[in-house]
Parts: sequence; C-alpha cells; structure tokens
Amino acid sequence: MLIHKNMKLSEVVHHDHTLVPIINRFGIHLGFGDNTITEICQKHGLNVDFFVTILNAFHDIHYFPKEQLRNFSVALLIDYLQKAHRSFLEEKIPEISLLIKNMTEKCPLDVVTSQLITNFFKEYTEELKKHIRQEEETIYPYVLLLEKVNQNLPVDEGASGKINHYSISAYKAEHEDVEEKLFDLKNILIKYLPGQKNDKPVYQLLRELFSLEKDLNEHARIEDMILIPKVEAMEKTLRNKNPNGPV
Amino acid sequence: MKNVVVIEKYYLLQAGIQALVQEIPGLFLSKSWLGDEPHLTEIILKHKPDLILVNPFSLSGENISLPGKFRSSRNTKVLALLHNKDKSQSISGFDDLLFYEEDRFILEQKIRRQAGNVQNPGTNHQELSPREITILRWIVKGLTHQEIADKLFLSIHTVNTHRKNINKKLGIKTVSGLSVYAIMNHLIPMEELAEK
Ligand SMILES: [Fe+2]
Ligand SMILES: [Fe+2]
Repeated sequence: MLIHKNMKLSEVVHHDHTLVPIINRFGIHLGFGDNTITEICQKHGLNVDFFVTILNAFHDIHYFPKEQLRNFSVALLIDYLQKAHRSFLEEKIPEISLLIKNMTEKCPLDVVTSQLITNFFKEYTEELKKHIRQEEETIYPYVLLLEKVNQNLPVDEGASGKINHYSISAYKAEHEDVEEKLFDLKNILIKYLPGQKNDKPVYQLLRELFSLEKDLNEHARIEDMILIPKVEAMEKTLRNKNPNGPV
Repeated sequence: MKNVVVIEKYYLLQAGIQALVQEIPGLFLSKSWLGDEPHLTEIILKHKPDLILVNPFSLSGENISLPGKFRSSRNTKVLALLHNKDKSQSISGFDDLLFYEEDRFILEQKIRRQAGNVQNPGTNHQELSPREITILRWIVKGLTHQEIADKLFLSIHTVNTHRKNINKKLGIKTVSGLSVYAIMNHLIPMEELAEK
C-alpha cells in the first residue's frame, strides 16, 4: 500500500497498526474519526508531505524516496529525528527493561543468566544513549549551522569555528555497532537461553526487540542516506563558494 | 548457513532474486541494496557475505569497483545478474553469471555450486573447536587480538580468522554478546570477565 494524503488516517492504521507509535511522534493521537491525513495535519500545523513520506518509509522498507526526503529542510528532518530519540529513550527502552524483568521473574531463569541479560541490555542502553547524545549535542547543531551558512544567514562567530574541524565521516560506523549488539541479544534469547520452559515472556520481549530494531534501522537509514549526504553536499557548496574559507 | 547479499536496483528483479535465494536451503539472505548507496563496498565487507549476487549495471559511482574487491577471494563468491543481451559486452571477473532469462533450476544450480565453493570451515560445523574456545575465553577476558596472538604464538591474522569463525558459528558478533554466551555455557566464571 502506498499511503496518500487524501486517505483517511483510520484506514491507514487498519492496514498497518504498527504505524501508531510513529503517528504519535508527530503529536497526533488515536480517535482519528473520518478525517483524512491532510485534514489532520492541517489541524496540527504539520507538513503533510513530510508526514506521509515518513509513514510510507516506515510502512514499506522498499519505499525510500531519497530525492523527496532530501528536499525537506534539514530543520524538519532533525525535528523528526529528535522526536524519535525521545520515543526510543523514554518509551521503548523502559518498556523493554520491564519486559526483561518480567522474563527473569516468570521464566524463571537462574540468577546468573538473569543478571547477564539485564546487564547486557543496560550496557546496550548506555551505548545508545551516548550515540544519541553525540548526535544531539554535536552532529545536529553542526548540520543546522551548515544550513544557515549555506543560506547566507548570519551565524555567531564562535559557532563558525566548529565548521573548521568537524568531520562527519567518523560517526557512521556507530550505527552498525548499535545494530550488532541488538542482534546479538535477540540471538542469545533465540538460540542460547538455557533450560527455560515458559516462552511467553521471552516472546513478548523478542517482539519488542524486533520492533525496536525496525524502528532504529529506519532511523539510521534516514540519518545515513538523507542527513549525511545533505551535509556532504552543503560542505561542497560552501567550499566552492569560498575556496579559501574554513570548510 | 551461507550468507547471501543482493545488489539490484529494480524492485521487481530484486524481489524475484530474493524469493529465489530464500527458496534454497542453507542460504540466508542477509540484506539487499540498490547499488547507489554511499560506501557500499565497506558496508558489504562488514556483512562478510559468502555470496554476492550483483547486477553490475546497478552499481554507480565509487561502487562500480565493488566486484573487483572480491575478485579471487576464497571466502566470497560473486555472481553477476545479467540480461542475455549483456552477453555481448565484456563481463569479466565474476565467479559465474546468472541470466534473468534462465530457468529457475539452472539459476538454483549455479548459486548452489558457488555456495559449495566458498571455503568456510565455520558454517557446516557449529560446535566451537578447542582452540576457538581458548581464544573465546581470552577475548571475553578483555585481551586484544594482538595479546592473544602473542600468548598462543600465532600470527594476528590467524587470531582474526578464528574470531571470524567464532562469530559466525555462534551468530554473536560483539564482545558483550560473546561474554554472555561464555558464562551461560560455563566456559568462564563471571568474576573473570573484563572490567567494563
Ligand atoms: Fe539518531
Ligand atoms: Fe544515529
């Protein structure tokens, strides 16, 4: 299904209910009535094309309109990415922590295994938090700054110094690391969980891990394939405009 | 399990190739790309595929040199996805050619043959060898590959190869994941884990 802005949002959710958390991220909540996507976006003051593009990208992994996504402003993209960060850290991670606790109590697992899995996820959480912090404190401000410079908007002196030496290339490998750890956790649960008889709590946990994985992959895809190429393009334009300049 | 990746820019063709790979037992389709993604060669190297099925005409920019990176590799076989009409052009450097016009069973045979050619001790036999267990213990205790090489009088290259096989056999890549595995299986007591 290709989601179109003239469709009713309720129909879209009937078709793919996993979109509800994504819709929530835009500040839209259930109780859509018969309103179309356009109507709902107008009511919330949202860019409807952007909203529809994000829904489509999430709904179908084959849908990835690079050109369209690149035409949206960096500020709009970053606003969405930050909302997604909030939902990872404030909703998904705590939810999974609870499910791990639930699993260790109900399965039951031996003390060592429980502790290992709990610690593994804690460590994963710390890594994800660190990655997100780095994005929000360093990378996103850098990208926003670049956009300003590129549009010839004034920037304060202190900030332009940053452009001098900041490089984006180092940060890409981190997405792979975060991805690998999550995969390991899933595989440990699927292949190596010792002597447990009650699969239901494990399955509930696995379901959330698969959902977090999908969400994170989609997120990293936007960062790797839209945000970073945009930065690279802006850096190039700046360099051409001002060959002796700081970039 | 042999790890397969696909590079094909047209959706219908990609979907068809994926369906074919998933039909063949012993193959695992790990990921597909369109061919224009930045730094694709490095990304694919990280996936450590046994087989790469690639339409050379889907590759653009720096990715054009991708098949060459795996030429005469013993661990990765590269098959080109082509139209019959492409036969007239000089296509070289691939382990075999798959044509869209070909019969399903011929395609399957060619893919299986190349999968069989991959030299990969880790995939058929899932148990860790005693040497791998020794190395796994050192890894989760926090030693670097170089330190392990020194202790066991091995080259760093050999230790790297052992590590790759351990990752592949267990399906666990990160040190933290390997630590969990090692303790769960009583290969090492919890107190001996590396300090984090
Ligand atoms: Fe992010
Ligand atoms: Fe990220």
